[in-house]
Amino acid sequence: MSDTASMAQATLPLPPTPETETRAQRLRNFWADYRRSPVAVASLVVILLLAFVSFGAPLVSPQDPYDMAALDWMDAFLHPGETGSGGYTHLLGTDNAGRDMLSAIFYGLRTSFVIGLSAGALALFTGICVGLTAAYFGGRVESLLMRIVDLQLSMPAILLALVLVAMLGQGVGQIILALVVAQYAYFARTTHGAATVERSKDYIEAARSTPLPTRRVLFRHLLPNVMPPLIVVATVQVASAIALEATLSFLGVGLPLTEPSLGSLISNGFKYIHSDRYWLSIYPGIFLMITVVAINLVGDQVRSVLDPRRQR
Amino acid sequence: MTAALEVRGLTTRFETRKGPVTAVNDVSFSVQPGRIMGLVGESGSGKSVTGFSVLGLIDEPGRVTGGQVLVQGTDLRALPPDALRRMRGSKVSMVFQDPMMTLNPVLRVGDQMAMAVRVHEKMSKRAAWDRARQALETVGIPAPAERLQAYPHQLSGGMRQRVAIAMALLHRPAVIIADEPTTALDVSIQGQILAEVRRLADETGTAIVWVTHDLAVISSLADDISVMYAGRIVESGTAEQVIGSPRHPYTRGLIDSVPSLHEPGAKLPQIPGATPQLANLPSGCPFRPRCAFATEACASPPSPARGAWAPRPVPSSAGGDMTDPLLKIDTVSKRFSRKPGLLGRGIDRITGRSSESTVHALTDVSLEVTRGEVLGIVGESGCGKSTLGRIVAGIYAPTEGAVTLDGTPVARGSDHGIEKLTTRVQMIHQDPFASLNPRMKVGETIAEGPRVHRIVEPARLRARVAELLEQVGLEGAYADRLPHQFSGGQRQRIAIARALAMEPELLVLDEAVASLDVSIQAQVLNLFIDLRRELDLTALFISHDLSVVRHVCDRVAIMYLGRVVELTSAARLYARPMHPYTEALFASVPTLGTGRAAFHPIKGEIPSPLNPPKGCAFHPRCPLAGPRCRIEVPRLAAPETGHSVACHLHDGGTGAAEAAA
Amino acid sequence: MLGYLARRLAQAVVVVFAMSIIVFVGVYAIGNPIDVLIDPGATQEIRAKLIAQYGLDQPLWRQYFTFLANVAQGDLGTSMVYNIPVVDLVFSRLPATLELVFVSVCIATFIGIPAGLYAGYKPGSLAARAIMALSVLGFSVPTFWIGMLLIMAFAVNLGWLPSGGRGDVGSLFGIPTSLATADGWSHVIMPALNLSLFKMGLLIRLTRAGMVEAMQTDYVKFARAQGLPDRQIVFNHVLRNISIPIVTVFGLELGSTLAFAVVTESVFTWPGVGKLIIDSILQLDRPVMVTYLVLVVILFVLINLVVDLVYARLDPRVRLKGKA
Repeated sequence: MSDTASMAQATLPLPPTPETETRAQRLRNFWADYRRSPVAVASLVVILLLAFVSFGAPLVSPQDPYDMAALDWMDAFLHPGETGSGGYTHLLGTDNAGRDMLSAIFYGLRTSFVIGLSAGALALFTGICVGLTAAYFGGRVESLLMRIVDLQLSMPAILLALVLVAMLGQGVGQIILALVVAQYAYFARTTHGAATVERSKDYIEAARSTPLPTRRVLFRHLLPNVMPPLIVVATVQVASAIALEATLSFLGVGLPLTEPSLGSLISNGFKYIHSDRYWLSIYPGIFLMITVVAINLVGDQVRSVLDPRRQR
Repeated sequence: MTAALEVRGLTTRFETRKGPVTAVNDVSFSVQPGRIMGLVGESGSGKSVTGFSVLGLIDEPGRVTGGQVLVQGTDLRALPPDALRRMRGSKVSMVFQDPMMTLNPVLRVGDQMAMAVRVHEKMSKRAAWDRARQALETVGIPAPAERLQAYPHQLSGGMRQRVAIAMALLHRPAVIIADEPTTALDVSIQGQILAEVRRLADETGTAIVWVTHDLAVISSLADDISVMYAGRIVESGTAEQVIGSPRHPYTRGLIDSVPSLHEPGAKLPQIPGATPQLANLPSGCPFRPRCAFATEACASPPSPARGAWAPRPVPSSAGGDMTDPLLKIDTVSKRFSRKPGLLGRGIDRITGRSSESTVHALTDVSLEVTRGEVLGIVGESGCGKSTLGRIVAGIYAPTEGAVTLDGTPVARGSDHGIEKLTTRVQMIHQDPFASLNPRMKVGETIAEGPRVHRIVEPARLRARVAELLEQVGLEGAYADRLPHQFSGGQRQRIAIARALAMEPELLVLDEAVASLDVSIQAQVLNLFIDLRRELDLTALFISHDLSVVRHVCDRVAIMYLGRVVELTSAARLYARPMHPYTEALFASVPTLGTGRAAFHPIKGEIPSPLNPPKGCAFHPRCPLAGPRCRIEVPRLAAPETGHSVACHLHDGGTGAAEAAA
Repeated sequence: MLGYLARRLAQAVVVVFAMSIIVFVGVYAIGNPIDVLIDPGATQEIRAKLIAQYGLDQPLWRQYFTFLANVAQGDLGTSMVYNIPVVDLVFSRLPATLELVFVSVCIATFIGIPAGLYAGYKPGSLAARAIMALSVLGFSVPTFWIGMLLIMAFAVNLGWLPSGGRGDVGSLFGIPTSLATADGWSHVIMPALNLSLFKMGLLIRLTRAGMVEAMQTDYVKFARAQGLPDRQIVFNHVLRNISIPIVTVFGLELGSTLAFAVVTESVFTWPGVGKLIIDSILQLDRPVMVTYLVLVVILFVLINLVVDLVYARLDPRVRLKGKA
């Protein structure tokens, strides 16, 4: 009888060895989950295409819309598909200054992407700093910071951005700054929310009771674990930064037409809405819509893939 | 007599990414009216899914794919959806595991109950509330009319579970499926519920299927027991048969894993390995890889196995010498207060009310632990045992008093911020799924502390990690894996390795085995016993489980509402408890091997530490309390050497005699 | 409950004060309105006189206190552009905006919430997918562009509806409003629909998420185990629970709809406060900007307060905490 017991001790086998999982493999798993939605995959492809034509605008567009010398008044208001003095077909027509719409849209898209991405990245950074500081220190610091953030969140971003742009003046830098101030609060709220959940978990307590230095607990333990929701918010916020910039430019407080963004193109086209020159406003609008919707769809899918309730 | 419930060949499948998984595999059993059947198994055995399958309450992506569920002869599976719905609640009902989640938080108890009444019987709202009140009375809830007006969050966990049971009983169903209904409750409250359920089954003739992982509970409650493993029932019979003479090696292993059946300090016989993943079952008998009696025949579908397998007790070398204490907890108190803000204080002044609330987590706790000793801290929720562990581990600062290790303080700071001063105390947490950073390789997790504190030279770090992993029974090569690749028991081993890496002199184990399955718990306890012997560990072992504490601790402190009420050696305590609370606690815990028992649960609820009773905190629940107990807080004193108790019965009387005279 | 209310009110007052300072300082940091107002050829004397008249020579803190003192007397200054008291100006424009916001919130609520509930109850169905696709469009495509498309379709091409402006004002229960006339409705319907799309998209997503989550909770399973029919589970158990977050977001969005009216009003040349603020920003009409922003802050704080009170009404757990 006793023999069997000791035998069980001696042959204590370990449970089946789990497969090793590298970072690359985690990425592959992520992709496997992501691509279950064909819409999301299509959206990603669209974004990549748009990014290519916008950042490669000087290479792919027939005309440099910034170059006033290349514009010809004779080419103004050409219908889509007409050939202008440059000898090439204006696929999407031309505007009131004879600017090729397709080129203007590619360049405009570039401006939109630059603004959206840099505003998103800066707001992410600022938000993480504020949110983590609040969550880690707690007490007065936390309630003060988070009260400010909440107050700001209750104000619509559009209003804040509007006032800020009015204060700062026109220009890419100013718009980015205004967007960051208007949007960092979303990141701060998300970071703080995720971090308060994480900080009460035992692994943080274990790290603190080891004891490990505060800096290490913050950046090695807390931060990596609050990243997933932040990635989702970041995607959505980039889209909303692009839409916000377009709105501001449309309202006339954003970028001037000499520095065309999608918003200022639409704003310009809006003046001709009662004539038949629909292409001035419709086409840049379609590109804007596709961009924003595609980014949001990607964000949606990333959210559902990263959802902890879905993880096994 | 037709069976109240007869299940034949029930099969439930889940569609997962890794293909279909059969969670319930050809399960058959029957329960007669008035009898209680225990459905026992470890996590992943399919016991809960079986319960839900009976009621047809399996959510996507799961589906009941075969079998019959006969309730008083009617096959539920053959009924159209609406007829099935009308059977639920009236003929067969269910009680869930977590009483905190099963009641709708925004509806009054009475409204929820009235809704459940009226769905099956046409009657006025008033009549339905009346029925609800009677139902609460049947399950022994005091002042039922007031409870009906309450919202769920205003009731304690035990009270909510009683409400849920009352709701299940509303229409006098033939069968109640109870899914781990006492797992989330404290032992004294569990005792109350068990006694109540036994009475209800006897009186109403309702058949009960009691799904649980706890053998001790089921052995003292059930008439019949079925044991599940990997989706199948592997053994069933009367409670006496299954517990007294188990036939299946898994059942035997499970029973043998329970510490209370063994000499304290002895190594427990253990079922090797982990509970299998249903998606990846071994062919043939699913228990084959863990079975000591497996033969080639087991590779083909299950056949009953026979054989004898009994433990050989390993003598314990435990027992601390009375030298200078390593750890000294000196009159430590801890209060958590929620202070109102500046504005709130101003308003308090105007309204003349205080919005400050204070939780008295610990009051005047003094304990000493000598080198090489394991001190157990036992108590129910709210007794302050975890807070005490965290103070010793330097996570909380005490409000008053001091914790010193070899005379030097463990941490410095106040309620507002704390800095831990030593690496010589390390802690092991309850939930191994939460205590490891999910994004860090386990090797890094283990190596981090020693690297930061230069305990091991950097060049040797990797080797040291491998060494530690092997010491806790894992492979050194596991260092490069992430926590989610390990099972619960393995993770707890990793957490132990992380603590050991700091070369601590004192370990604080906070419910370190509470969340593990019985068979895995035995493995981890054995590891602890081994490590203790090898490394001459000193430890504070915090647990609510009396049998586990008895098994591994030298001395035990019983806590109640923030105070130590009794302190003595484990052997003495279990042989002759002195404090009425300790005694009552022992009486309310079901133990394995005593057969169906009459329960003597402690009456009443555990008071809130927000507002502890005056005098002896236990007096409202104490059968022996006298006038003095209501006024004077008893001090911890030693009426016998080596046995301290805080009770007026042992320091001059409770005043009951005087009052009577 | 009383203490809770008092605390919240006190907080609200503090917030309004803090925000008024921020707004004041912020707005007064913008450019120099004198440059806009005065002909660059004006003499130094006229300049100095105007600067003194507007109090622009005073230090900022003194200007703020003058402003506060004036506010206490109900005087928020005079518009530099229209040269009439700002209060009159803003309040003459406010009804048009409130009208627009009211109609659009109604559209968003009565379409958004039922659609969201359905999409959450049958998440896999085709209708649910269609609803979700529309909601993504609704809250991601910029408002102004959709507005423009609406104008092109219904005003320019089809000629069914006017392209902008507010219609005839009639009287409804003694309140002068364009909602009392058919012409008024033909003017309001397009901008209101435009303004409601974002909010509708959000409400759909929120309601759906709440519904999906609630359907998986233990208390819903428990209700099922008692034999409650789905209809009763949805309306008696789930709706009460998910109404809590919906009310919160609804309140907050009410405020943001007010702000988003800025865009819609510009597109449809709707004569409300939104159009006014845009014009004021472009013309640096400081008193109007300050008044509008302070008004918006007060509205926000009030809405937040009401939301919290409703919240406490709906969620018994909060109610108890308020008492304690």
